Amino acid sequence: MRRRTLLKSVAALAVAPALPAVDLFGQSGTLTDAQIATLRAIAEVVLPSALSSSDRNDVVDKFASWIHNYKAGADRGHSYGDSRLSPPTGASPAGRYPDQFAALDAAAKAQGAASLASLPKDKRRIVIEAALNTPQPLNNLPARPTGANLVADFMGLYFNSADATDLAYDRAIGRDTCRGLDGSEKEPDRLRTGGH
Amino acid sequence: MARYECDVLIVGGGITAAMVSQKLSELKPHLNIIVVEAGTRLFDFENRFDHRQRSLDYGENQWPGDFVADQGGTGIVSRSMAVGGSALHFGGVCNRYSEEDTRLKSMFGLAVDWPIEWKDLEKHYCEAERRIGVSGEPSPLKQDARSEPYPMPPMNMTYNLIQLKSWAEKSGIPFWTTPQAKNTVEGYNGRSRCHRCNTCEVCPTGARYSPDFTYKQLLDAKKIQLHDGTLVRKLVLDDKTTRIVAAQAVKEDGSDDNVEYRAKTFVVASGYCWSSHLLLLSANPRFPNGLANSSDHVGRYMTGHLAHETHIDLDLKIYPGMNEQHSLISRQFFRCAPDKPYVRHDLRVWEAASGRPRLRDSNGKLLLGDEIVSDWRTRIVRGAARVRGYFDAHPDKESRLTLNPANKNKWGDPLPAIRHVTDAATQARSASTLQHFTDLFAQLAKANDGKAGRISSLGYQDHPAGGCRMGADPATSVVDSYGRAHDHQNLFVVGSPTQPTGGCTNGTLTFVALALRSTTEIAKVA
Repeated sequence: MRRRTLLKSVAALAVAPALPAVDLFGQSGTLTDAQIATLRAIAEVVLPSALSSSDRNDVVDKFASWIHNYKAGADRGHSYGDSRLSPPTGASPAGRYPDQFAALDAAAKAQGAASLASLPKDKRRIVIEAALNTPQPLNNLPARPTGANLVADFMGLYFNSADATDLAYDRAIGRDTCRGLDGSEKEPDRLRTGGH
Repeated sequence: MARYECDVLIVGGGITAAMVSQKLSELKPHLNIIVVEAGTRLFDFENRFDHRQRSLDYGENQWPGDFVADQGGTGIVSRSMAVGGSALHFGGVCNRYSEEDTRLKSMFGLAVDWPIEWKDLEKHYCEAERRIGVSGEPSPLKQDARSEPYPMPPMNMTYNLIQLKSWAEKSGIPFWTTPQAKNTVEGYNGRSRCHRCNTCEVCPTGARYSPDFTYKQLLDAKKIQLHDGTLVRKLVLDDKTTRIVAAQAVKEDGSDDNVEYRAKTFVVASGYCWSSHLLLLSANPRFPNGLANSSDHVGRYMTGHLAHETHIDLDLKIYPGMNEQHSLISRQFFRCAPDKPYVRHDLRVWEAASGRPRLRDSNGKLLLGDEIVSDWRTRIVRGAARVRGYFDAHPDKESRLTLNPANKNKWGDPLPAIRHVTDAATQARSASTLQHFTDLFAQLAKANDGKAGRISSLGYQDHPAGGCRMGADPATSVVDSYGRAHDHQNLFVVGSPTQPTGGCTNGTLTFVALALRSTTEIAKVA
């Protein structure tokens, strides 16, 4: 199989130098339609099956929105009990994604598909797993996108969300929502969709 | 150079300054009061939802611009420097100390007694709770008796806290909910009821008290003048007497303009760090060690408290995120039996997450999609509690804030260096204190088939205070019980710097109560 080619393609993205986001996404940091399609293809593999197609598209939209609204150089304040100021936010992670999108498509092409999105789901998983294992196996989901690994960034943004927590617990906890005090003494309601 | 004259100059724009200026303007409505704050005013309440969201999404500062870039230091030096101070960020916890904190020497032979009667302090706790707006559940312990009810009913316990209380009390220790500066009724002090947004460090609805509300009210009513973005660098002594006559400041707005304030009374309300710092910076030939420092006690006895913490795995279903800031407290250990090794502490219990999503299972297998959720669910079948106790850590005389000549701000002023040192008695009992917590956490865990995890210890003194400790003896203290400098009749230091010891629970309410007590005295002389 063309696994070696696949790994080579995916490895290329890991050593790709960080590039300024504005050069690749324009001033808006907006993902292209093709990149959105790739993320949707990734979403189908890495997100829980309890999410509908529409739910998955929402997650992709949130990721795209996160990228679009990222501000480089933003004030990150200071941590409690720490006399130092936190360094401001760095360059947008988006600057490191184009090569990774390209590498994913290249890996798909190595398997005879036009793009990652056109690969069957089982073969897509192989490409995605390779992206998470190359050149070093990733062990953790990042708390927020960093640009180091597109797939892990996408997964981290979802799995660290309040929605993912609700799904795992199968309860409408709504961690990040202003919910009012009334009724908080009750066990949170079960989710209407999803569940064990 | 701009010059201003006023009756009372308050240096610092945090929570104690807010309370002092509010009360002073009520007691003496015609006083000309100027509050000077080095940081800027962040009165953009309308943006707080957006700031909260940016903080959640991107880790950005919840209070953008709440610092002055080169006003830092070494040691535990809070970087909050804005109108509202550190209380912009505080979680709202409003615990009281206990009578033991004010009688350590006479009851236990440790540290020093405070020069205040408990009944007097308790009265000012009530006032502080009214002014801030505290919702709370009275302690069931008779030693915690209150002379007034809490201004607002307690925040209701979440499902999680109900479960945790039921669990924790099986250990035989009583628990109740922590008092908080959060509205549980609509409209208290013109602010909304808590919406349980789970981000109390920046409350987007205004339910959690923050000093900017007080400043806005005072400014709207023209009770005070607020000069923000103005760094006071030095207090100036009268040529012939020991009265303070002026404060020299500089604008931090980029103009670098010098400003001079002349006042009848000066109130230093700059918190545990910058109050001592300013007095030390204000050295002159007659007070070569700094103003108010003939005793060489300014900057000494820097205090706070330490903590031991663990997570306990429980046979309970807990849903993390219901109201993470709200907690249970027990004050049972504020008292110490005379026949036991000395240890005093609070005890808090919070909901906690027993498992987080992970990319690989315990065998290193990569997980995707449903595999992550399944793996996650296996680890959240049982619940978890975070349990922590703040305990007494009495300061040594060498627990100091000093001026660091190797670290200066852009004006050439040496910045503070704080080195906390606990006294010999505290150090001597550290092993027995840790053993006490080990046993206590095990007792709690055992109560419901739980398992206590590794104990972690706080690496710094929390809720720091001290540096200008109060006392009756001018040889061993900086200020009297009202915060008046022994050396200068018209100079007051208020709030946290005046505390001789740091208690064993959150300090904000005590800082405010002490400042309110000082204000009555300030009003008499202003």
